[in-house]
Amino acid sequence: MPDPADPAQTGSVPSDSGSADSGPAGTGTPGAAEPAGTPRRRAFLLGGLGAGVAGAVAGAAGGYAYRATRPAPASQQALEDAEAGALPPVPFHGKYQAGILPPAARQTAVISFNATADGRGELIGLFRTVTDRARFLTAGGTPPPVGIGGAPSDSGTLGPAVVPDGLTVTLGVGSTLFDERYGLSARLPARLTPMRTFPDDNLDPAQTGGDLVLQLSAGHPDTVMHALRDIARHTRGGMQAIWRMDGFTSPARPAGTVPRNQLGFMDGISNPDPASQAQMDKLVWIQPGTAGEPAWTAGGSYFVVRLIRMLVEFWDRVDITEQENMIGRRRATGYPLDSNAIHATPDFAHDPSGAVIPLTSHIRLANPRTAQSGDSRILRRGYNYDRGIDDVGNLDIGLLFTSFQQDLKRQFEAVQTRLIGEPLVDYISPFGGGYFLALPGVRDGSDYLGRSLLA
Amino acid sequence: MGANVRPAAFHPRLAPKLAASVAALAVAGGAVACGGGTPASSAVVSVSNGGCGAGWKLAGPGWHTFQVYNAAAEGAEVDLVDPANGAIYAEVEALGPGTTSPMRLNVGSGSYAFRCLFEDADAITGPTVTVGGHARGTPAIVPITRNDLFGPARTYHDWIAAGLGTLAGQTATLAADVRGGNLAKAKADWLTAHLTYERLGAAYDAFGDFDGQINGTTAGLDGGVSSPDWTGFYRLEYGLWHGQSARQLTGVANTLVSNVRGLRDAWPTMEIDLLDMGLRTHEILENALQFQLSGQDDYGSGTTLATVGANIDGTRELLTVLHPLLAPRYAGLAAVTTWLDRLASLLEAAKRPDGAWIGVSDLSTSLREQIDAAAGQALEELSPIAAITEPRRT
Repeated sequence: MPDPADPAQTGSVPSDSGSADSGPAGTGTPGAAEPAGTPRRRAFLLGGLGAGVAGAVAGAAGGYAYRATRPAPASQQALEDAEAGALPPVPFHGKYQAGILPPAARQTAVISFNATADGRGELIGLFRTVTDRARFLTAGGTPPPVGIGGAPSDSGTLGPAVVPDGLTVTLGVGSTLFDERYGLSARLPARLTPMRTFPDDNLDPAQTGGDLVLQLSAGHPDTVMHALRDIARHTRGGMQAIWRMDGFTSPARPAGTVPRNQLGFMDGISNPDPASQAQMDKLVWIQPGTAGEPAWTAGGSYFVVRLIRMLVEFWDRVDITEQENMIGRRRATGYPLDSNAIHATPDFAHDPSGAVIPLTSHIRLANPRTAQSGDSRILRRGYNYDRGIDDVGNLDIGLLFTSFQQDLKRQFEAVQTRLIGEPLVDYISPFGGGYFLALPGVRDGSDYLGRSLLA
Repeated sequence: MGANVRPAAFHPRLAPKLAASVAALAVAGGAVACGGGTPASSAVVSVSNGGCGAGWKLAGPGWHTFQVYNAAAEGAEVDLVDPANGAIYAEVEALGPGTTSPMRLNVGSGSYAFRCLFEDADAITGPTVTVGGHARGTPAIVPITRNDLFGPARTYHDWIAAGLGTLAGQTATLAADVRGGNLAKAKADWLTAHLTYERLGAAYDAFGDFDGQINGTTAGLDGGVSSPDWTGFYRLEYGLWHGQSARQLTGVANTLVSNVRGLRDAWPTMEIDLLDMGLRTHEILENALQFQLSGQDDYGSGTTLATVGANIDGTRELLTVLHPLLAPRYAGLAAVTTWLDRLASLLEAAKRPDGAWIGVSDLSTSLREQIDAAAGQALEELSPIAAITEPRRT
């Protein structure tokens, strides 16, 4: 879903994109199911009415400028490979963890753990074990037989031989790991704190934070679950899972565009370019000597996870104009409201009053595209989640938001702060997640995740 | 634990039977790639009543997969053994006639031979192949036989008998408390007696219907806690901690006493399945994790952590009687002790300052995580014992 070539990027929450073919103009009764945030919603409605849009190109008939001008992005190819079950192994060793830069995988799971290891020695053992399992699982191969010496060494859910299926295993640490238990307080990363509570958040402590976070991503749900079972089995005494969220990405529909979130909008149209080392060094990787950071963090990246419920029943009762004005893009095509191309850069400077793209729209607040906002961009990876139903019978679905950045405050928190009070907040509810630091990479077969922190 | 007992389907391991014999043909198979960059091979090894893997070869150390084919008209068990001591590197159990099953292992330096066991026949051991050098491979484990298990099972049976005697006295005291209307004392005596029963946990199946009568939960009962069919410790716990009167509970307590006496008296003629000796070393704590650490089987007393402690004691008793068999076969025994000790000390640390037990939902998050983690790790360390101590023919 990231677009390598578009320097723009949207912020944190659900995200982008718009439409032409507006379909039925919604229910026309916006007052029907308004929550407490009504004033905000009404104010928005008024602002949005003026935003008529030119160039409403019919999706099917008009085709996509996107398609006409550039090849399918890497993410699209990856999704097609995943469909075919053909994802090759992702090399595990390297300067950085391998799961950070790739496009959002078809399937992911984010699991937060508290460390239960007794002392520094056991903690090192835990990190070594996670590393060893990740090394095997990402490469694939046949699990060793145990003869008559025990239960099978593998769950067998991927068949007799473990297939790599593009699996990546990303390990991060939370600020609570740096308390007195392991003698790590002097090594606390300069910007690592518990996740801040923003005004529109509704955080559940049981689904927030954690000493450790693991993200497992692959081409299929069975691969992700197999990896989770394997790692958990080998680390039972060392860490205890506290919350978990599975996520998926959808095929781009229509083909060649960008996958959609569960609000119906394309998600993650603009992102920094992972292929640009310069951009990644500026926006994602903690550099040796990054102000105030302990040396061990070099090559790591701050990792934000936000669990964001989408109130889709309410959303589906909102007319298309209001929806598009909240996002700032067309739902059908992903075009910015001022453009006829999905990856066009919105020209906010020529729309100072928000007549075309409302000042309160998500894409405008998240990334105002000013000289000052450039260094607040984040590497955003959004996944859809589905957790059944809630207490009133509504769908419990939403967004598993993840982002990687060099600096939590300069980037994620700056973006999130600009989004405070955006009209969209009436339809979404962040309820969990955490701030972590994704560790530097594992250099070779004798290295392990967290060595620079623990050795 | 009555309703908590594993259904029969969880015990697929057949009682070992038969004898064997066989003939063998070794057919060369194509090489099969294996992970790990080590040399790998695959060959068909045929067994029948005329021979066991005759003519088979090993190219050298490394990963090998044998396709074991049963050419006989009856089922077979085929082991790859060290002929010097009968230790098993790998086995294929219940290989049906005309079927093939892979046998995979990392071959190291040492001696290898196939051994075939057919029904009603002695074991046949095929030719020995020796691999030189100093390569480490999949270790072989000397199989445990039924004869090996008789002694430990007898010791364990005696230990249970003694425990049932103690239990009969404790439940009589408990019933007297209830009849006399001293429900405060009944609560304390209930815990004492219940923990005695939970300590005997390894014998659930061996207790037959008595277990459901003595320690059944409401699972599977129409009407749940109001079911008239619910008897035993948990029924009494529910009443004692939900304000039921001595009059209401006297019948429940008396029934418990008579059921315990019935079990005590029947026990001398009841047998312990030898297979269960090893299975129970992890099953007791599997149940503890599922029903006690979850709080599911807390009917009001908030003593499920005490139950887990008693379950640890019961597990340790099994490990003690099996120790002579396990010590030379299982390198993980020290880790078993480490994690059972850690779990036990965490349970002690969880008590209130006055020594009273605390319900799992009142534990601090941190302590509950540590307890659950220790239980999980202890189970991982215990799990190989069942496979190692499965009674095998030799």
